[in-house]
Amino acid sequence: MKVSFPYMGSAIVYKKLFEFLEHEVIMPPKPTQRTMDLGVKYSPEFACIPLKMVMGTYLEAIEKGAKVLVTSGGHGPCRAGFYGDTHRNILKSLGYDDVELIIFDAPQDNWKAFFRNVQKIRNGVPWHKVINRMYTLYRFVQKLDELEKMVQKIRPYEVNKGQTTQVWNQIQEKFDKIKTRKELYRVYEECKQMLLSIPTRKVEEKDIIRVGIVGEIYVVMESSINFGIEEILGNLGVEVERSLYLFEWINDNLVPWILRPKRFKEIIKKGQRYIKILIGGHAVETVGHIIDFKERGFDGIVHLMPFACLPELVTQSLIPKISKEVDIPILSLPIDEQTGKANMLTRIEAFVDLLKNRKKGETKEVFIDNIQEHVQEERVVMV
Amino acid sequence: MREIYIGVDVGSVSTNVVAIDRKVNVLFKTYIRTNGQPIDSVKEGVKQLKETLGDVEVLGVGTTGSGRQLAGAILGADVVKNEITAHATATIHFVPDVRTIFEIGGQDSKIIIIKDQMVVDFAMNTVCAAGTGSFLDHQAERLKIPIEQFGDLALSATRPVRIAGRCTVFAESDMIAKQQFGFSKAEIIRGLCDALVRNYLNNVGRGKNLEPPFVFQGGVAANKGIKAAFERELQSKVIVPEHFNVMGAIGSAILAKEYIEKTGNKTNFRGFDAADIEFSTSSFECKGCSNRCEVVKVSMEGKVIAMWGDRCGKWTNSL
Repeated sequence: MKVSFPYMGSAIVYKKLFEFLEHEVIMPPKPTQRTMDLGVKYSPEFACIPLKMVMGTYLEAIEKGAKVLVTSGGHGPCRAGFYGDTHRNILKSLGYDDVELIIFDAPQDNWKAFFRNVQKIRNGVPWHKVINRMYTLYRFVQKLDELEKMVQKIRPYEVNKGQTTQVWNQIQEKFDKIKTRKELYRVYEECKQMLLSIPTRKVEEKDIIRVGIVGEIYVVMESSINFGIEEILGNLGVEVERSLYLFEWINDNLVPWILRPKRFKEIIKKGQRYIKILIGGHAVETVGHIIDFKERGFDGIVHLMPFACLPELVTQSLIPKISKEVDIPILSLPIDEQTGKANMLTRIEAFVDLLKNRKKGETKEVFIDNIQEHVQEERVVMV
Repeated sequence: MREIYIGVDVGSVSTNVVAIDRKVNVLFKTYIRTNGQPIDSVKEGVKQLKETLGDVEVLGVGTTGSGRQLAGAILGADVVKNEITAHATATIHFVPDVRTIFEIGGQDSKIIIIKDQMVVDFAMNTVCAAGTGSFLDHQAERLKIPIEQFGDLALSATRPVRIAGRCTVFAESDMIAKQQFGFSKAEIIRGLCDALVRNYLNNVGRGKNLEPPFVFQGGVAANKGIKAAFERELQSKVIVPEHFNVMGAIGSAILAKEYIEKTGNKTNFRGFDAADIEFSTSSFECKGCSNRCEVVKVSMEGKVIAMWGDRCGKWTNSL
């Protein structure tokens, strides 16, 4: 089957998944202006930007020959639950009757449908192989995320501007070629050394600014739509951490619940201090992570929301209250098809100035100073 | 010879150039319409400065505004800063106990919250409430009233008229409807000022704790009608500082001063000859990937001195 999927974050992971299931993979292109143009043209006007971008991605993948598109569905009362069907209808109206869209909804909502889908994409690969390879993939995601977290802690202090991003791109290329678990661990060590050998400035703890990025999953994970906010902040000398990494998402959503790390539950609990019921999207998680970042000593939060995303709008309206009670500055940025960067840059720069000022005012002891140590600490230990 | 710091604020509607001395006395200020020609207006401003002040020694240069990168490249600025920080810096200097700054310009509207002389919060128009200054300009033209008299006319109105806020498209149709009802121009303008202030406070100031002293600046602060509408809405006095329309430029000059004093660096200022140097900007579509970024290239006498606009940094980092 010629399989493709929506591009989001480190898309090589999804590519690996389908390679392991012995599909012919059509790699969707990283979303660009053209993807957006296509998506905007063929989507309902008041849909949020993730729906439009994914639409554009599908059309580009189909152009490249994809016959099967695999995506995750929704869970809870957010419009994202209808995306799969909306996309399917649009594709149909454009005459792509031969393209199949496989939507994975949350398994606990409908186990039967879930296993039907699994059977479809398993592609006849024997179960023992599937399980073995999925475990490799699981570690693959973990290692890649660990490296990305290092990137975010090194970039602000790099001596040669742009070097960390370059190395990160090389790392992704190296990971793309990995076939076995053994290879994975070897390449991981190699890449780690590459990152640790990037020349960096020494920065005193009191001058370190840490910003957490929270919000709806697509705009948080996909740099092509969020103006590359991690890089912008990194270049302004700010350490960045996202609320969402693929590895954690897998742990929180796909790993059987007995094996799940407690962290996710704690985040939800923290979020429910402000949003009592599930309102879909990542609203509760967003709030939970804001509080979590504060508790871990972060200096500020950037909240990304697709324009017209209801769950995030609810969060945004809570933000003044949370910001005051938890005492952390929060910058909300709505994201739509606008590509003019000036306005956004002004806000981000001013926000970083604000954080630096605040820090000057209240210098206090913070705990992390060694990158390697921190990476270790972050690792989620699995059975 | 007088020692000065230069501050330049290049906005969508106006380009402002100021010169301050070591004690932040404003020695010179000019307010020029940008007219879509930022390079020419920056050159013009610097030329006027030179003509007015005569021989001076420039110790530092700061730029701000949406054209800050371009102006910075042309002049050889020491500090290139965002408008929010620049505005706050200047306001804190002139009104040390300020708590809330309203800044309304041609395109952007901002609210800056200050505590103990530090920016603690700010907001900027997002997808709506943009272009207040430009909208006022447009309405002045439509009603055939010079923009300078707009505010005075609003003050002369005796009855309030309710004009729809939210969106300038609605506001304009509502204004036309009320005109047809027979309300006077003065009343309609007052209604418009009220609507813009209401919209601004609801949209930009949403959820913010607005505390006096209030300072109102930016080009729109020249409009007495808007100032009065603010005072009615907030039930409090609103201060419009003396240099209200060039506060961004003053702020960037102060920031340049602080930077030079702190680092002891020599300024990068290209000199007043910059006004005679041929600068040109061109742009090209990068075909490296399907983003097709429009890359802006600034050249000084044929030599490329700055590039930006590329998402991947391929060109920006190439210099």
